[in-house]
Amino acid sequence: MCGLAGIVRSDAAEPVDEVALRRMLAAVRHRGPDGCGIALEPGAGLVSSRLAIFDLPRGWQPLEASPGGGILVYNGEVYNHPELRAELAARGEGFDTTCDTEVVLRLLERDGVAALDRLNGQFAIAWWQPAPRRLTLVRDRFGVRPLYYARVGDGTLVFGSEAKALFASGEVAAAPDILGVDEVFTLWGPRAPRTVFAGVDQVRPGGLVVWERGHIVEEWTWWMPEYGAGEPPDEDLEELLRESVRLRLRADVPVGTYLSGGLDSSLITALAQQETDHELRTFSIAFADPRYDERVHQEEVARAIGTQHHVVEALPRDIADAFPDVVRHAETPLVRTGPVPLYLLACEVREQGITVVATGEGADELFWGYELFKEVVLRDLHRHEPERAEALLDELYASLGPAGSRRGPAWRRFLLETGADDAQLGSHRTRAGATAVVKAFYRPEVAAETGKTASLDRLRRELPAAFGRWTSLERAAWLELATLLEPYLLSSQGDRMAMAHGVEGRFPFLDHRVFAHSVRLPEAEKLDGMREKGALRRIAAKVLPAAIAERGKQAYRAPEVAPFFGPEAPPWVEEALAPSALSESGLWDAQRVDGLLRRCRAGRATGMRESMALVGILSTQLWHREFVGRGIAGYPPESREPRVRIDRTGEPSAKEAA
Amino acid sequence: MTEVVQNVRTELRLYIEENFLYLHPGLELKDDDQFLTLGIVDSLGFVELVEEVQARYAITVEDVEITEENFGSIDAIVAYVEQKRRSA
Repeated sequence: MCGLAGIVRSDAAEPVDEVALRRMLAAVRHRGPDGCGIALEPGAGLVSSRLAIFDLPRGWQPLEASPGGGILVYNGEVYNHPELRAELAARGEGFDTTCDTEVVLRLLERDGVAALDRLNGQFAIAWWQPAPRRLTLVRDRFGVRPLYYARVGDGTLVFGSEAKALFASGEVAAAPDILGVDEVFTLWGPRAPRTVFAGVDQVRPGGLVVWERGHIVEEWTWWMPEYGAGEPPDEDLEELLRESVRLRLRADVPVGTYLSGGLDSSLITALAQQETDHELRTFSIAFADPRYDERVHQEEVARAIGTQHHVVEALPRDIADAFPDVVRHAETPLVRTGPVPLYLLACEVREQGITVVATGEGADELFWGYELFKEVVLRDLHRHEPERAEALLDELYASLGPAGSRRGPAWRRFLLETGADDAQLGSHRTRAGATAVVKAFYRPEVAAETGKTASLDRLRRELPAAFGRWTSLERAAWLELATLLEPYLLSSQGDRMAMAHGVEGRFPFLDHRVFAHSVRLPEAEKLDGMREKGALRRIAAKVLPAAIAERGKQAYRAPEVAPFFGPEAPPWVEEALAPSALSESGLWDAQRVDGLLRRCRAGRATGMRESMALVGILSTQLWHREFVGRGIAGYPPESREPRVRIDRTGEPSAKEAA
Repeated sequence: MTEVVQNVRTELRLYIEENFLYLHPGLELKDDDQFLTLGIVDSLGFVELVEEVQARYAITVEDVEITEENFGSIDAIVAYVEQKRRSA
């Protein structure tokens, strides 16, 4: 697990500045605090900042296939690397390390990108081939690991694990992409290749981009989620999951788990404890506010399984204090504060000496755990049994209302009617409609530029060809992967918060074989009436207390408005939302924001609409201040001596020249 | 107009102004202005409005009553609340 970055030029005679590369390295240093490496070619430079997981003494990057040959910088893990190495070794390949990086490079050198199908893991790859002056950028199937790039000048390509590495190069300026920002306020995150920065793209999940001598010559998707009726699976889900967990415990460092107290993370924790020979460490977030807190369930699971359990209580002041750092790492406006406790948790994990954690991420998408899937079922049921459907609708999203309350007829009507006439995106129109509240605060010129439906229109245009042949629940599942899992959960709430502290998240449910299995399961195994995840609950019943195996889903949320107002609120909140600051970012109507602020200060902004608006506006302001207009002076160069240095330029190094 | 009705009208106006009108600076809302037509209340805001009326006046709103005729303007809500109270 690492941070990577680089610059490649169309003309080999045009040098790449090592100091620029060192600035890029420093910008992603948090992703790889254990050391760094630099490769310099004529007209190209690649850098790596390493978090050591496999072969601690030797697994440094950049890695070259041979003197003068291909070079790899790589962020991630390929869990089946021992099996792949054995296969290559049997054919006579020799290895210098026991690290997965070397396996990936040798496979790519031998089979080209066809090798990607063999890789089981989560990774972002930059593979440089000097002779054709070709750079291949690759992301894993679900987009667990990020990878950004920008084309500048006369064909130069600048790339990195995070957008800040691109800005640190001095060759890419940070400016908002208003349509990308609008996607945040529609779907919670921008969909690749779009980002929230103008001129900056990201490789699609399961995608690759090939740049050659100044031009992008290929851009395609080597894996995509596909649905549709097929033969029921003949493999055993429990064995598949155990195998996935076993693979994801592979590391030369200790592995822990995140434990929310819900079904998914509890199941992963239980399986991990059975598959490991040491006492597992578990990590949980707790809140003082009982509406968000799940500690009773977390403790029950930890006791039952017998883990060494750690709890981080996220206090409102902690949330406010960490918020600017969270936005800096997420590199995007946010509509929820949910990433903040995960940032605090990763900090604790690191302090406890753990650098790898397995989590339950992905189960809700694969096994239809979200309320959104039930909405789809109930809209259908309402056509035949309206009274029964309405009674059941009343119970959805119970955690969003006052404790113990039922939401009532207006809520039912909202859920039933929003998107009812939209066969394509109907399942996601309630979320998009609720999130769009933030757009009411746009300045008129921003509203005119984005239009009311631009983000949904783009999504509609880019639906897969087979989309119309899938069932309504399969369509909802695809949309959930495409619009929430990668753009928000794996990114803003996942990779960025963990890697901010050099912690690697691993996701056993997002093994592509588990996904393929889930697709072929009968729908009732995933959602049977209002009972979700039947297939997982049967496995959980064998390894967890019954109350946990049958526990319903509690939506993960964190306090949203309260941390930023009142006597304990940090002073930067009001500064960031002052008319002069709003004018600088140019996105928000100051008068309307002032109205919202008055309600927040008075403690009256307690509903979902205004909470989302406040978090959206405040995070946008912090994001704009952090990135836009920040020159390279804000990006100091890496000062650590590289553990690996490949220099094929024949030029004296910057240090030697100095 | 009875004092009770006038109180409902005043409370509702205050609620609408506080919760929604700050997003429409300069708009002078008349009692018969249509919230949805003018874009004063979005769909999720409409949910909050109905919940507020239900809670504040302790009335049970039936599904079929959630119409613009009953909730589309200050006048409409005042009349609806009055009618619900009379029939209680």
